[in-house]
Amino acid sequence: MKKLQKTSTDIIPTGYLWGGLVLLLLFSVLPFLYLISTSFSNQVEINAGHLIPHHPTLFNYRQLFSGNGPYVAHLVSAMRNSLEVSILTTILALVFGSLAAYAFARIRFPFRMSGLFAILSMQVLPSVSIVVPLYILFRNGLSIPIPFTHLAFQLTGPLLNTPWALIIAYASGTIPYVVWMVTGYFSTVPKELEESAYIDGCGMWGAMLRIIVPLSIPGLAATFIFSVLNNFDEFMFANAFTSTYRSQTIPIFISQLVGKHSLPWGLMCAAGVVATIPFVILSMVFYRWIVTGVTAGAVKG
Amino acid sequence: MDRELSEGLSQEIAFSAKGTGLSGRAVKHERKRWAFAYLLLIPTVIYLLAIFIYPIVQSLVWSFMHYDLLDGSPVRFDGIQNYIQILTDGQFWYSLWNAIWFTLFTCTVETVLGFFCALLLNQTFRGRTFFRASIIIPWAILTMVNGLLWDTMLQPGTNGGAIQIVLHALHILPSSSNPVWLATVTGTVFWAGIADIWKMTPFMTLLMLAGLQSLSGDLYEAAMLDGAGFWKKIWYVTLPQLTPTIIIAVVLRVMGAFRVYDILTEFTGNDTTSVTYLTFDNAFRYFYLGKASAMAWVSTLFIIALIVYYIRALKRNMEYA
Repeated sequence: MKKLQKTSTDIIPTGYLWGGLVLLLLFSVLPFLYLISTSFSNQVEINAGHLIPHHPTLFNYRQLFSGNGPYVAHLVSAMRNSLEVSILTTILALVFGSLAAYAFARIRFPFRMSGLFAILSMQVLPSVSIVVPLYILFRNGLSIPIPFTHLAFQLTGPLLNTPWALIIAYASGTIPYVVWMVTGYFSTVPKELEESAYIDGCGMWGAMLRIIVPLSIPGLAATFIFSVLNNFDEFMFANAFTSTYRSQTIPIFISQLVGKHSLPWGLMCAAGVVATIPFVILSMVFYRWIVTGVTAGAVKG
Repeated sequence: MDRELSEGLSQEIAFSAKGTGLSGRAVKHERKRWAFAYLLLIPTVIYLLAIFIYPIVQSLVWSFMHYDLLDGSPVRFDGIQNYIQILTDGQFWYSLWNAIWFTLFTCTVETVLGFFCALLLNQTFRGRTFFRASIIIPWAILTMVNGLLWDTMLQPGTNGGAIQIVLHALHILPSSSNPVWLATVTGTVFWAGIADIWKMTPFMTLLMLAGLQSLSGDLYEAAMLDGAGFWKKIWYVTLPQLTPTIIIAVVLRVMGAFRVYDILTEFTGNDTTSVTYLTFDNAFRYFYLGKASAMAWVSTLFIIALIVYYIRALKRNMEYA
């Protein structure tokens, strides 16, 4: 076994280190384990105060997924909506945001820094600042006003209770995030590579699509994952713009379960586990990318 | 990232300085590059103007209007009536105070905890990757599931939620006492804060860990030679060097915590628990859109003030790097 090299930055004595690490692990993991263990408990055991079920049961999961039960249809459609909305938002934002990021990272043009900071500040403004006007916008449908008249060119019908309302609203926060992140990744590509592409006869589009974008794939992937996770979690816009069963997302589904206080806790925890386990596993698998997403962006609110 | 940007900044300065020295052809080429840059920016700029800037200006205009969707009255200019109404309303101040207290509470605890967690995880020890990965579990859990989890744990009753069972077993809480934690506004805000601390401390830890990893060992060696102990090293070596990172992390968290809304809707129906909750209910429960816009603008102004501070801190860091 390789001996670990101690360095001068190791300032905590070993005993305290392991004490602290054990506490940290318990703090992070215990509540989550309790969620899982409750999802395997029946109501009798929960009432008896058993933290860990003496007789684990799949009863809650069977009830949640039973074909003629009241939950499964809502859960499946909420999951489909959530995936659809968060993935489409991310694709839209990545296309728009990467183009802008290329300009910010590779071209020196007037007002470059001011533009970058203006976009950054849009990323951290709260959703509550724009939720009311967006509601009216989606209620009426998107339109382009024709100047000097009272006419408008109607682009879409009303968008409330459709995934498009959420996609359009989420992208307004996701595009600035993508611009900020991807600008960072694009600027790490050495200038020489781009210049040699010009010498080989590439135009500006060619250099971007053949050199810069392929070399930034890991960064783009990190941005993709991080943005999907973020949009999956969004609650306020979803709560304001969707009110029908068919259009609701996972956070709304969970919130409605909690709202019905007559439901057994085991069932709710089972729903919580189903909704959240994919993300816990994804975050562990893509741990490195997640860390890059948090630290390089440093803009997640 | 910061370093690249600061490089960009200095290049930009150098560029504008030598601007007059360029030959005619180079200027033409440069112009072409600029045009390309603006072309690439068009989709983003149009999108953000339509879906971000325009709505935010619209909400400023509406905050001076009487705009009530339910009573059928016409939309009309109302001066600063909405602002007078909310600023003389005890409910608004109460909800604002709750949001501020929630922010102070969570950000302080998250910063202190996050700092020490980052110190622990910055050491070299066996199984470090496992520990580093396991701490992001709370952060990966969906916010609404986090609320559901804490709601479960906080249930009252003799054999209620996990927290009472554990506190009873440890004799911290006398077995005769069965508090209903979420019955009062203070209790709700406090426990929502605890749930937020559980979920967001990993975020702080990751940011500070990244900061710690960029510190060099030289100063610690010098401090060790001077006979400094653990607390002295923290105070004189770690903290001064980490301050820029800490400031940025804290400002980010303050902006995130102040808008608390989602988790509170699971704990209580009382919308005075945070200013965002009250704004949302005024907009989408009572449909007082004018009044809600005014409330939203009070929050927006607060966040804009923080953004100005945040950007100055970022710029300072870039010049420093």
